[in-house]
Amino acid sequence: MHNNELAWPHPAGALKIEQFGKLCTSPRTVLAVLVASFVTACSAGSGDGLSVSGRPLGEGGNVPLAPTLGSIQANVFDAACVVCHSGATAPLGLRLDKANSFANLVGVPSQQSGSTLRVNPGLPDQSYLIQKLEGTAGSGAQMPLGGPPIPASTIAFVRQWISDGAMPDPGPGPTTPPVVVAMTPDPDSVLATLPSQVTVAFDQEPDAATINASTVEIRRSVDAQFDNGDDEVLAAASIQLSGANPRLLLIDLSGVTPVEDRYRLTLLGNGANLILNLGGVALDGEFSGTLPSGDGTAGGNFVAEFSVQGIQPTLASIQDSVFTPTCAPGCHTGPPGPGLPSGMDLSSAAASYASLVGVASVEQPSILRVAPSDANASYLIHKIEGTAAVGGRMPLGGNPLPQETIDAIRLWIDQGADP
Amino acid sequence: MKRAVLFAVIALLLAPDARSEPYLAVQKGMKCVACHTSPSGGGKRNSYGNYFAQRELPARTLGAATGGANFWDGELFKYLAIGGDIRGGWNRIEVPGQATTSDTEWEEFIGYAEVKLIPNTLSVHLDAQLAPDDPFIREQYLRLSLADGRFYLKGGEFFLPFGLRLQDDSAFIRQVGGINFNTPDTGWELGWEQDRWSVQFAVSRGTAGGPETDSGKQYSLVVSHVRDRWRVGGSVNFNDTAFGDRQMQNVFAGLRTGRVSWLGELDFIIDEGTSTGRRELWAGLLEANVQLTRGHNIKISYEHFDPDDDVAEDEQNRFSLLWEYFPIQFVQTRLGYRIYDGIPQNPAQNRDQYFAELHLPF
Repeated sequence: MHNNELAWPHPAGALKIEQFGKLCTSPRTVLAVLVASFVTACSAGSGDGLSVSGRPLGEGGNVPLAPTLGSIQANVFDAACVVCHSGATAPLGLRLDKANSFANLVGVPSQQSGSTLRVNPGLPDQSYLIQKLEGTAGSGAQMPLGGPPIPASTIAFVRQWISDGAMPDPGPGPTTPPVVVAMTPDPDSVLATLPSQVTVAFDQEPDAATINASTVEIRRSVDAQFDNGDDEVLAAASIQLSGANPRLLLIDLSGVTPVEDRYRLTLLGNGANLILNLGGVALDGEFSGTLPSGDGTAGGNFVAEFSVQGIQPTLASIQDSVFTPTCAPGCHTGPPGPGLPSGMDLSSAAASYASLVGVASVEQPSILRVAPSDANASYLIHKIEGTAAVGGRMPLGGNPLPQETIDAIRLWIDQGADP
Repeated sequence: MKRAVLFAVIALLLAPDARSEPYLAVQKGMKCVACHTSPSGGGKRNSYGNYFAQRELPARTLGAATGGANFWDGELFKYLAIGGDIRGGWNRIEVPGQATTSDTEWEEFIGYAEVKLIPNTLSVHLDAQLAPDDPFIREQYLRLSLADGRFYLKGGEFFLPFGLRLQDDSAFIRQVGGINFNTPDTGWELGWEQDRWSVQFAVSRGTAGGPETDSGKQYSLVVSHVRDRWRVGGSVNFNDTAFGDRQMQNVFAGLRTGRVSWLGELDFIIDEGTSTGRRELWAGLLEANVQLTRGHNIKISYEHFDPDDDVAEDEQNRFSLLWEYFPIQFVQTRLGYRIYDGIPQNPAQNRDQYFAELHLPF
């Protein structure tokens, strides 16, 4: 069909495109169409039952301006930012909805100015968020993009929140019991030495007033048996929540003399002294080997053990004591491949075995990284003893491994380098 | 410059694209690629784009008779072409109950470069903001063109194809969709330009310019059909992320009726995994561009935005009236007034905006 004969639905027949064109070319017709569009168009919302951010009042309602994250969330982020900064296509991955704003802002380097943190706790002038809101950032436009600047009086609350440390809101207190979601060292792990700090992560912020030596305890068995009267409670230098992450419990053992023994961490969820969340709900602590802890109801102690045995001539022990803490972070990270150092994946026992045992060295292809039953012929030994012809001694740039550690690795290889 | 004119004519006849604003493409009945290096539109102009901007768009052409052969085509030599745009202006925003803000600023100096490693086949493209703030690259990609330009593959960082590529990033359809001139992404784009059809398909990180954060990818597809007086198209986009998925789809159209060029787009977006769960959003645009006389355009637009289909009375509207004047080549002025109409408890959604802009594209 030719353009000029393009038919247009019409009761009386086909309206030719020229006629339609003439009709639509008339300024009065254009004006009429636009006015009709405006009149019949979807009107703006009345805002009935909504907060300033356009969300139902039942989701939190209007929040007065205050130097708290909750207030800034409601009055700045929800009201002006999340129209763009939410969901999968949030610019630069910066999601500012309630669930993500804290994690994406505080202590996170800016994508546009990597030397500046988006929110630098205590330092509003050195926080990229402030620079973007005030229009002083070195890159990109002032935020909100295309919208009116946030009033200085409102930004003052954001500044104050950052000056106060940019803390998350405690909130009214959850009604679900807190649980343990992670622990370092891992429960039941075997360590070469006692760590200087034990950490426990909760799924929610516990009440700091309930975190103390009467609710948190680490003891050692002395004779490999607990609760037989000779256990020794460790004197932790401090037991407190992390200032940067109030869901993280830090137990400082730096003053404790390391002893090869079995250790037990106990967090009380029962009794007169127990760990509570901000809503006064007791720790749901039952632990049977799988995290998170708990049985779904408030109450129950969290009890987990770990051992310090010195390094053993097993891959598991070497992994826990050497590969995981010393080799994998930042260097031998995986994924497996020919490239070094990441391609020599030492991030887990299985990955280490696959990367090492019977695998030719990239630097010296005629030598196996680990030649089972022959430590002297294993390139891994050459590298950690500093006798390899190529490259530097491992750990690169760090202190050489202790001789007893090297001896354990040698023994593991000489015994067959079993997985 | 006879060769340049010839090239321009060939480019026009062979067709792919032209742009600056989608309404100009509708006005001319051509694809975006008739005027722009990128088939998706926007950014660096090609030879015909420069010819059009200097010879056909402005009210007057200084230094040469209208239609003359001499014009800046950006071709420094066979293997390098450049372009740019300098923008600045005055902006006044009145927010109910708040102090009126008004500022004049030099907004941006954008530079474009196309390095033609193998002319018409393999090229490197750069789009960078050079001033006034810290320079940063917006687009950087390698493009391989095959079959006389009917197919192309580009890889690198680029603006994703999706819907009408309006100049105004604050338009609801650009802002809400999150695909605009502020959010280039890294990935691959495959394109097909055949007669009246134009197809672009991109696979990218889905982080809107941020680093890769997970294994999920963003897929964006635009299909459009361009006729002399009208065009229709549709886009779909799916972004699979660990932070929740987003699915977007739209239909868009253009129609020329005499001196009036119409544009319309309707977007429907589904967000999964937001802090309030699943959310369905609508955004729409209806725009009329009236070419009063050569060099003068009146733009009238109506936009609608529903931030959550399940929440009543939260809708927003935006009305715009602009006068765009191209007095001479390389100069564009824009005077505009916008009315925002939203929920009364949010003053920013009920602001009025007045602005005057000066654009110096070359």
